Amino acid sequence: MTELLRRLRYLLNRRRFDEELQSDMEFHREMAAREGRPNFGQDFGNTLRLREQAREAWGWTWIDRLSQDLRYAARMLVRSPGFTLTAVLVLAIGIGVNVSAFSLFNMVALKPLPVRDPDSLVRLERRSPEIVAGEMPYASVIFYRDHAKTLSAVMAVMGVPPMEIESDAQPAHASFATANYFAELGTTPTLGRLFDPTRDDDAGAPPVVVLSHEFWLRRFGGDPSVVGTTIHLNSKQATVIGVTPYAFATLGGQNPDIWMPIAQQPYFVEGSKALTDTSAGVVRMWGRLAPGVTAQMAEHELLALTDELRRQHPKDVWDGEYIKSDPGGHLQVMQPEMYQVAAMVALLTLLILAVACANLGGLLLARGVTREHEIGIRVAVGASQMRIFRQLFTESLLLAILGSVSGLALGYTALRVALQQMNAPKWLSAVPDWRVLLFVIGMTCIAAVFFGFAPALQIARQRQRKTLARQLLVAAQVAASCVLLIVAALLVRATHHALYSDPGFGYEQVLSIDPGLGRHGYTPAAARNYLNELQSRLRGLPGVTSVSLVKLPPMGHTISKIGAEVAGRPLDIYPNWVDAEFFRTMGIPILLGRNFLPGETNVVIVSQSLARAQWRGENPVGKPYWGHDIVIGVVGNARINSLNEDDTVEEYEPAQLADMPDMVVTIKIAGAPDGLIPAAKGIVQSLDPKVFPEIRLLKSAFRHEMQSVELAALAISGIGIVAVLLAAVGIIGLVAFTVSQRIKEVAIRLALGARQAQVLTAVLGQFRWPVVCGLMAGVGFAAATSRVLRKFLFGVSNLDPASYTTAIVVLAAMLALAAFLPARRALRVDMAKALHHD
Amino acid sequence: MPMVDTPKPIMPSGTLPMLILRVLHSGSLHGYAIAQRIHVLSTEVLAVEEGLLYPTLQKILLKGWVTAEWGISETNRKVRFYRLTPEGRKQLKTELAGYDRVTQAIQAILRTA
Repeated sequence: MTELLRRLRYLLNRRRFDEELQSDMEFHREMAAREGRPNFGQDFGNTLRLREQAREAWGWTWIDRLSQDLRYAARMLVRSPGFTLTAVLVLAIGIGVNVSAFSLFNMVALKPLPVRDPDSLVRLERRSPEIVAGEMPYASVIFYRDHAKTLSAVMAVMGVPPMEIESDAQPAHASFATANYFAELGTTPTLGRLFDPTRDDDAGAPPVVVLSHEFWLRRFGGDPSVVGTTIHLNSKQATVIGVTPYAFATLGGQNPDIWMPIAQQPYFVEGSKALTDTSAGVVRMWGRLAPGVTAQMAEHELLALTDELRRQHPKDVWDGEYIKSDPGGHLQVMQPEMYQVAAMVALLTLLILAVACANLGGLLLARGVTREHEIGIRVAVGASQMRIFRQLFTESLLLAILGSVSGLALGYTALRVALQQMNAPKWLSAVPDWRVLLFVIGMTCIAAVFFGFAPALQIARQRQRKTLARQLLVAAQVAASCVLLIVAALLVRATHHALYSDPGFGYEQVLSIDPGLGRHGYTPAAARNYLNELQSRLRGLPGVTSVSLVKLPPMGHTISKIGAEVAGRPLDIYPNWVDAEFFRTMGIPILLGRNFLPGETNVVIVSQSLARAQWRGENPVGKPYWGHDIVIGVVGNARINSLNEDDTVEEYEPAQLADMPDMVVTIKIAGAPDGLIPAAKGIVQSLDPKVFPEIRLLKSAFRHEMQSVELAALAISGIGIVAVLLAAVGIIGLVAFTVSQRIKEVAIRLALGARQAQVLTAVLGQFRWPVVCGLMAGVGFAAATSRVLRKFLFGVSNLDPASYTTAIVVLAAMLALAAFLPARRALRVDMAKALHHD
Repeated sequence: MPMVDTPKPIMPSGTLPMLILRVLHSGSLHGYAIAQRIHVLSTEVLAVEEGLLYPTLQKILLKGWVTAEWGISETNRKVRFYRLTPEGRKQLKTELAGYDRVTQAIQAILRTA
């Protein structure tokens, strides 16, 4: 038995050991008395104290003291229920907001996926110093799979545009996955079977599909006899072999309705060469590290394999290409910019906690004054400052614990609602895990120190009447609320700006048709013929005013971005490949120069913003661009592929024959575009029945894009309002307290004939500087740190004066009101009564 | 009530555990007997106060050098007897060896300096 275990035994059997000790000492005394030994008799002293000293050897006396303090604290809190309730509520909000935010982060980035051995899963992406690509050629994936010894398994997933199931109006989301996908994740089906590497990894095998649990319920009413039946996807027949589990965790959080084996992709997408193409990225690659292998070792080996691949296909491998691995066993593979967002959210929620703590600190200080009598008595009977501090801090700790428990409940509720609203993966649960609980414990301690430490110290030293502490608390509250309000105002402005400002192109009356010719193995010449036919048929439809081609349509699935340096400044250039009709279809004005001519090459049209950045006010028309192109025109700015960023620039090149298989048709209609969809669909189908186009209304795509922004702005505004209300409650409390302390002074001043305004100034004067300093600190802090918000501001400057002014005015008005209400009550004081009081 | 004096350091500091272990070497004793034995064996030079004896006993109980068991005192009272454990025996040996070395060193200084 080690010493620690013995110590624990003493703790658990404290009462018995204490009795034994007592009996020992009593016996000692009896013997000493019997034998009349003088030197023993003299040393008797206080038996209780002697016993306590002996017991201290066990090392558990602090528990006794703590439980004594806790009991006392609980009695104190129960005796003032109003204060306790306010304090717990304020803390519950402050801590609850933090708990929700952390739980969300925990779900996304920390919680391991409920799959087999999530720690060894890695996501593998193709990189080069210039290019970031999420998708890889399937042929390369196979090459890596066959040669990498550091990976025990390689999985690939290919997302495809929604597919038509039977002749439903609503298409189904579909993905192709390698046959080992489910086996590697250790997924067990709800019904039937999932992919079997020995049976389904073959292009010639009978075509099969696996249904997602949700789709099975939605489309097939949860009918168990669906297994074994045949369905038609884009008119291709396939057998349903199984249904995924209800709480199915996928790699990268993708959630298609239908899964198909990737080996059978050429069957489902007739004519596709996606599996054999060595250049175009079509699949996402995932791997499992072999036992004992680190990510660095795997990256090292893959680099050597990339070099080997370059020898085989020199054209298809980029200069400096390498494979980057990221831990893949979480809901989200975190990118540096996501951590930035997380840090920003953490900062905002911590600010709320700061407001709550400052608020509570003020309340505690005020309470300290009303408890002067009690504490005075305790000091008089010999309590040390330390002992009083410990007692007061224990009280704060108890409050913090109560607040945390309520905060945890609040956070759990908020998260549960959010998960339901967001249609999150079913395996995610709002129930706090050990990480969240640890976080809450940490928060409890931090909060207790923040709001309890300084007041306890001040009160223990009997300095609670000093105004400095109170002024500091007010300044802190004002500063933190100010930052929160400014951020909220900026985000609201940004949403407004994004929703109602002109993105530079018309989207209300535009329809896009993506026939996906490349996916069906169309050669450039065949694609050109198809598109020509399609365009001329579409032009014949009533109401169509213009039809054009574009490679990267607005709100499309692919975005291309060149990180360039223009005039010494880094600049993101968004390139696009279009035909001459495009600018008219999208309503983008040609400001200078001319449009593309048929068959033209080596020319480029730039956006006004690019022209300004590159040529600084000179006319760029006729100037060389990037060596081999000539600028022929300047068009208006249009954030086609970068809705969120205002300071981006665009360049347009004429689409060439080689681009044809990737082109998307955009159509402008005179009236409402909705009615045109069936007609357009009919035309596409009649041209080639194996092509299943994705037809979209740009306005719905735009709305969809904006929804998340609106939601974020709403959430942040909510947080901002909560912070301001917290601050207002705190200030009302503090002012009411200050006034009640000085009620006699107010009465005397009034009695001597002071005007009400003078009295108000005198009473509230101590808050003037703290409020001004707090406001300035808040504005300064917001201005310095809000640059990280730029991505979410849709082009609104992070120093937008309107947002700052609004925030400051709202806050100032709130503060004035919060101070005025309790102060006014003081002015109505019954002078005689106030002066007669004690 | 007599005044409580702070006990004068009669005992060389840190030697009480060793003395307790030593007197328990020849058989188990109760607390009072330990104090008495030390007092008697030291020809009444050393006195062990209650306020020092019991905390020290608790400490060496925790260390596992002695165990306590119930027994009957000479006055027919149920009382705890402390007994040396094998670990306590080992501890006593090392403490005695250490103490010997220290006292010899001190003696050497006192003789020559």
